[in-house]
Amino acid sequence: MNQSLTIEAANRRFGWFMSAPSLALLFAVILFPVFWALFTSVHDYTLITPNFDNFTGAANYVEAVNTPEFRHSLLLTTMFVAGVVAIEFVLGFIVALMLNSVERFKPIYYGILLCPLLMNPVIVGLIWRMFLHPSLGIVNYLLSVAGVEPVNWLGSTKVAIWTIIMVDIWHQVSFMIVLLLAGLSALPKEPYEAARVDGAGTIRAFLHITLPLMGPVIMVTLLIRLIFAVKTYDLVYIMTRGGPGTSTDFISYFIYRTAFVSLNIGEASAMSAILLSLILLLTGYLYRYMRTLT
Amino acid sequence: MLRQLLLGIALAAGMSAQAAAETVTILMEGVPDTEYVKTLVPEFTKETGIEVNLEVVNYAEMHTKLVPQLVASKGSYSAIVVDFYWVGEFTKAGWLLPLDERIAADKFDTSVYMPKMMDLVGKVDGVTYMLPFYNYAMGMLYRKDLLADEKNKTDFKSKYGTDLGVPKTWDEYLKQVEFFTKDGMHGVVNQGLRPDPIAMEWSNYFFANGGEYHTDDWKPTLNNEAGIKAVEQYTTNVNKYGPLGSASFSFDEAFNVMAQGKAYSYITYNFFRAGIDDPTKSSVVGKVEIMPVPGPTADKGGSLNGAWGWAIPKSSPNPDAAWAFLKWVESHETAKKRALQGGSPTRTDVFDDPDVNAKYAYSQALKNMLLTSHNFPVFTYTPQLVEVLGRELSLAVAGEKKPAEALATVEVEMTELAKKDGKLK
Repeated sequence: MNQSLTIEAANRRFGWFMSAPSLALLFAVILFPVFWALFTSVHDYTLITPNFDNFTGAANYVEAVNTPEFRHSLLLTTMFVAGVVAIEFVLGFIVALMLNSVERFKPIYYGILLCPLLMNPVIVGLIWRMFLHPSLGIVNYLLSVAGVEPVNWLGSTKVAIWTIIMVDIWHQVSFMIVLLLAGLSALPKEPYEAARVDGAGTIRAFLHITLPLMGPVIMVTLLIRLIFAVKTYDLVYIMTRGGPGTSTDFISYFIYRTAFVSLNIGEASAMSAILLSLILLLTGYLYRYMRTLT
Repeated sequence: MLRQLLLGIALAAGMSAQAAAETVTILMEGVPDTEYVKTLVPEFTKETGIEVNLEVVNYAEMHTKLVPQLVASKGSYSAIVVDFYWVGEFTKAGWLLPLDERIAADKFDTSVYMPKMMDLVGKVDGVTYMLPFYNYAMGMLYRKDLLADEKNKTDFKSKYGTDLGVPKTWDEYLKQVEFFTKDGMHGVVNQGLRPDPIAMEWSNYFFANGGEYHTDDWKPTLNNEAGIKAVEQYTTNVNKYGPLGSASFSFDEAFNVMAQGKAYSYITYNFFRAGIDDPTKSSVVGKVEIMPVPGPTADKGGSLNGAWGWAIPKSSPNPDAAWAFLKWVESHETAKKRALQGGSPTRTDVFDDPDVNAKYAYSQALKNMLLTSHNFPVFTYTPQLVEVLGRELSLAVAGEKKPAEALATVEVEMTELAKKDGKLK
């Protein structure tokens, strides 16, 4: 008994020893910056006076929440995230289902689909900015050939957010397709055969077999895409700079400006902490929901 | 044998370290004037033996790259270029080396610079921190061929009762904007993107209406007749006389509209003047000229000033070599060579140089532009003011705020910033 305990303890020690380098690395590159940001968020730390002399407690958090532009960005980002994740999911699932039944040229479809995903968001933004130029861009030119009035893609407060959503979908939908397709191709064949024998049609098989079996994959896909969508920054920076007006002023771009234009690292850290806690809450909820599915 | 080998390696390493010590590293923005400097640098190396390493990046990256180097006790940049936006911040944080002693010791004449340039990117509270590098004061590009057209002259006269010609006042210009918006042509193209393109362009409208940003004691003076008229005129120009989408144009997109011959006028940075005559970029070569933005009366201008200055950071690893470079690059000879390539001077003796005037006929117009131009408020929070101004103007152009409402918000936030900086008591 004693001997087995000793071996177990030795094993555990050895386990810790082996994991130590990775844990140290994780601490250095993930936990340390997070704690540093949290520490900064309770101090009056600016780039002009970069020191921790003034402890301000929750002042930066109060200031952030009391800033109407911050609340507006948060709301706008929520709408954007809900929009892109929902549309990309529906589109992505449809394409994944279609591709799943394709037998030939699969690698070619994959290749085409992955192209936008491999592109840097800055390049995507620049290309689309050129395409969508109201008078010199190709999109409005093609519309004019079809007799459609030119659209003010980025200069109208009502249209700009939808333009960003559209470009984001173009860029990111393949991510959904690839992940969902991987999930679909791993599904067992037997339940479908049994359902067919029982006389179930395609739609019933989809609703009662595919969807429940795909539950965990769908959750993970939505979660990852959601977290990435919250961080959307590059597209807005290149295409609209948050404008026109404040119609595309997303939270990440707002925090960036607080840090590097206003030089207020303390308040920017507080805003990041608020954002982080919201994402953590949502992730926690989705994770628990996912566990109930499995 | 081994000892000799090691000694050899040590000596070689020592020598190369010594050679490497005489390298001046400068972070610069990828703009035409940087390219001109780059072509001249070999002459400096030949004269002094000091190597020059110009690290050229996009504007958006500059500030984030500079700050960590400036905060450090020993950074990697020997000299830097400073946009007038950052002057307040950099000097307040104490990141720049005062240059007065070096200027006096070497008898470097700073009186040759345009006084407005020294105010903007030279001296702060009486201390010289920078030597002005190039100016990017804004001027008005206009289609001289359309002004010379006889039919246009007759039509204009019958419509407005006055002669059509180079506009002498702001009101005259606004009439021309309205007049030339016809037959698929636009009277103006604007750069309405947030934050700096719109804030900078609108400043010209504001000055042209006789506005100034603040009183001598830094009390904001935006929400008045001049400010409201400027916002209304800007909004009308974007939405009524400009091409679709100019509310989100940056300067490159707006320039393309002008270069494609689809607009009569465009208020922009003077360094675009050279580009408009480049047949690879423009279809209106020889048809466009630049002039100072007209003011409320014929003797006053409405142009906004802008400039970059050379400075030596306190964290510079080799300030002496950096100063040697600054002296050389800002000497009359080098500044003239840069101007002859199309650069934007800041020295009066370069503006008045016969060779420069012979090559660029618009040189005197650029000089007048600087002489009649107005400075944007320079203080620690200039970038933040630009941000606020850009946001509020963009909201006004989008019709989401009334001009007075938008300007009132700018005044409130500018007051806070000026108080925070100690400028406003």
